[in-house]
Amino acid sequence: MDHTSDPGALRYVIDPGRLDLVKEFRASPLGAHSPELRKLLARMRWGKPEGRLVLIVLEPGKAWRLSRIPKRRGDPMPFVDDRVFTSLVEAEWHVFKLRWQEMTGTTLPAEISGDL
Amino acid sequence: MIYRTNEYLGYPDRISVPAGEAVRFQLSSKRPSVKVEVLRLRCGDVDSNGPGFKYEVMTSPIDGEHACLDQPIRPGSNAVIDHDGALVPTGGHWCFGTYVYPTRIADNAKAVMGNWCERSARGYALELDEEGHLVLVLGQVSGTPARFALDVKLRPRVWAFVSCALDLAGGSVSVSLIVPADGVRPVAAYSKSFALPQAPALDSGLPFLIAAHHANGDRQYTSHFDGKIEAPRVFSCPLSAEALRVFDGRLRTGAGDAGLVAFWDFANGISSLSIKDVSPNGLHGSLRQLPRRGVTGFQWSGSVHDWRLSPQEYAAIHFHSDDIYDCEWQTTCTLDVPAHWRSGVYALRLTSGGDNPDRDCESYVTFFVTPGKASRRADLVVVASIATYLAYANSALRLYQVHFETLMEHVLWLPQDDVFMQENPEIGQSTYDCHVDGSGRAYSSWLRPILNMRPRGYWFNLINDTHILDWLEEKGIAYDLITDVELDREGARALAPYRVMMTPTHPEYYSFNMMNAIMAYQNAGGRQISMGGNAFYWRCGFHPAAPAALEVRRGMAGTRTWESEPGEVHLAGTGEPGSLWRHSGFAPQKLVGVGFSAMINDTCGYYLRTAESEDPRVAFIFEGTGRHEKFGDFGFRYNGAVGSEIDRYDLELGTPPHALRIATSEGLGAGALPTPEEFRTVVDGLDGTQNALVRADMVFFETAHGGAVFATGSITYGMSLGHNNYDNNISTITLNVVNRFLDPRPFVMPAKT
Repeated sequence: MDHTSDPGALRYVIDPGRLDLVKEFRASPLGAHSPELRKLLARMRWGKPEGRLVLIVLEPGKAWRLSRIPKRRGDPMPFVDDRVFTSLVEAEWHVFKLRWQEMTGTTLPAEISGDL
Repeated sequence: MIYRTNEYLGYPDRISVPAGEAVRFQLSSKRPSVKVEVLRLRCGDVDSNGPGFKYEVMTSPIDGEHACLDQPIRPGSNAVIDHDGALVPTGGHWCFGTYVYPTRIADNAKAVMGNWCERSARGYALELDEEGHLVLVLGQVSGTPARFALDVKLRPRVWAFVSCALDLAGGSVSVSLIVPADGVRPVAAYSKSFALPQAPALDSGLPFLIAAHHANGDRQYTSHFDGKIEAPRVFSCPLSAEALRVFDGRLRTGAGDAGLVAFWDFANGISSLSIKDVSPNGLHGSLRQLPRRGVTGFQWSGSVHDWRLSPQEYAAIHFHSDDIYDCEWQTTCTLDVPAHWRSGVYALRLTSGGDNPDRDCESYVTFFVTPGKASRRADLVVVASIATYLAYANSALRLYQVHFETLMEHVLWLPQDDVFMQENPEIGQSTYDCHVDGSGRAYSSWLRPILNMRPRGYWFNLINDTHILDWLEEKGIAYDLITDVELDREGARALAPYRVMMTPTHPEYYSFNMMNAIMAYQNAGGRQISMGGNAFYWRCGFHPAAPAALEVRRGMAGTRTWESEPGEVHLAGTGEPGSLWRHSGFAPQKLVGVGFSAMINDTCGYYLRTAESEDPRVAFIFEGTGRHEKFGDFGFRYNGAVGSEIDRYDLELGTPPHALRIATSEGLGAGALPTPEEFRTVVDGLDGTQNALVRADMVFFETAHGGAVFATGSITYGMSLGHNNYDNNISTITLNVVNRFLDPRPFVMPAKT
């Protein structure tokens, strides 16, 4: 095993109370981020590929839709919902919210959880 | 419109074809017919935010509708031995066995050796079942096949000797497993005897196979073995399992080995696709779908790492159930390329045709037309990076890498081709990916559909390269196009007709011949414009016996997604060491002045001129631009001319001492990270905000006999050329370089170097 192949290699524990980091991300999902937010994002993005949320490019530069990496090679790869994103920033924020819920078990307050 | 890009798939028999010669296309679809057009690509990028998808529709003899077969891909490598019945058990005794090192035990049976045919249920074979038990399968004249299994399981990645002994006269059979001692584990041996069926049917009438069963009598195979097999042998006399194991195949002159029927010595002909039987029967065989040779065997001592020095330690072959070299599809149409066609990047456009075509159904097969024998040559030639396209062909990194989203710093964007690859893995992946058994893929061939080397596919490499062609067309610069396959096969002769050669965005994979061809060209007065980054990085080779396949051995350094197994760095095809050119004493800096320094995973940067850029030797480059302006703080897709992967100047690594570092990068962030061979200990201070070696350098130097080299040191440079309708400072300095390089006036190396 090596550092970049071990799905469990990252130690960072996401603190559900750090809504400041959520706000920072929401302000600029694809921008430059503070060191603490970079750690949080690295933790969110790390892990075994199976089950990972990904964006399928429907039209280059125009439209994307969410799917997940299946468990086994050869398995079908359906979309997870009906939503078509027309902005990568919006999609990035949407996935962040799904992962926040999944990894912290908490729901973000309404005032910072809406679409951008 | 959301396009369906995989309704038609196909591949050419040759990746580059000189004008005036023929190229055959093998196409497949579930639809009964296909409409074919031939396009010459100017810009293959369909992203509407870029220069636009630009091409010329050619008039060709294959235009129109063709009948199309649904042609499957059957991956999996194995050996085939035609034997005229010599490998069918007859008489009293039949013993056979081999060393095995299974790398994947799962899903279905894995054939080891025999002539067993699934459809006819005739023949015999040793296999591992889906849990790893060793099983002897025997056909019966009537009824279901007999299966004799050991109770113990083989373990993955542990060498073992598997065998069986048939006593046809006595009516018994034994199946045996010997696991030689390793580490602190002592030797273990298991054996079990069974009664033979009354009426065995051991002759399938088909060739003897290693690492697969016959699926049927049509030379289709199944139950492919994942793992290494070494020294299979067959005897027609009674032998204990241990006696069978210790026979080493070393025949002494004048001394017969009683009962020896066959012994395949895989140490013989490692760079070939033949397997040699050293017995007097000469039951030689051939390999299909390019399994990996030059791999450590049971006898590997660890004292050599080069199979050429001790082939007996490399007497194994690593077979994979997902090896694919040649889809072996039937030809759908043959294009006689008209002699007057311009060289360039071409593609078949495949659509549904008919009176009512599906407009969203559009697929491509890319090929490259090179100048014909009688073609008048331009002064400038672009060398397409086929080796790199192959290395990345059908890359599934976005699907299966643990760290890839962290690397990219955003949710991964998967083209629909990735979905197709996930759902149809038989198409075979890239040399960045791993086989289903977890071992790295060493081979990638063009005799299969390549999804990310075509319009509407993933843009990295080929599509990005067409931005440079688009710029050349826009500026009215006459050019020819050849590929690095010509450099590999013809050496410096391929470049000799040209005053200027240009390598595009990402010529990362270079063979020995390709590197030396460029160096010879430079020394003969040729001028090179190196437009890309991460250039001339991996030492790789085309396989001499499988010339459509690139072979890559990653070694233990470099930016790599897998690592060579211990002792497996040398290419099977050529014997030379793989890994980085830097570690073969030919760092890219020695060829073009700059070499790989870092990957940019976040914000791209731009260049600023250095004090050295004020040298009169390079005044021509900056004409029409300001001394202190930012060069390339813009660009399509990447938003900066310094990005993706970048290269730097380094005298110690071979940058010529008289080279001028005329510009260097600015604006890189914390996502700019050095390539692993650039640091020897991990410490803080390595990223682009802190480390001065994380940078791209733009260099210029003169070469002997009036030549010169200009290098940009960045992959994204080419995607800045089209900014602001091609009117920008990257375009300006590139045009200055091209014009001066096309000017026959010789460059003069400075007196003091």
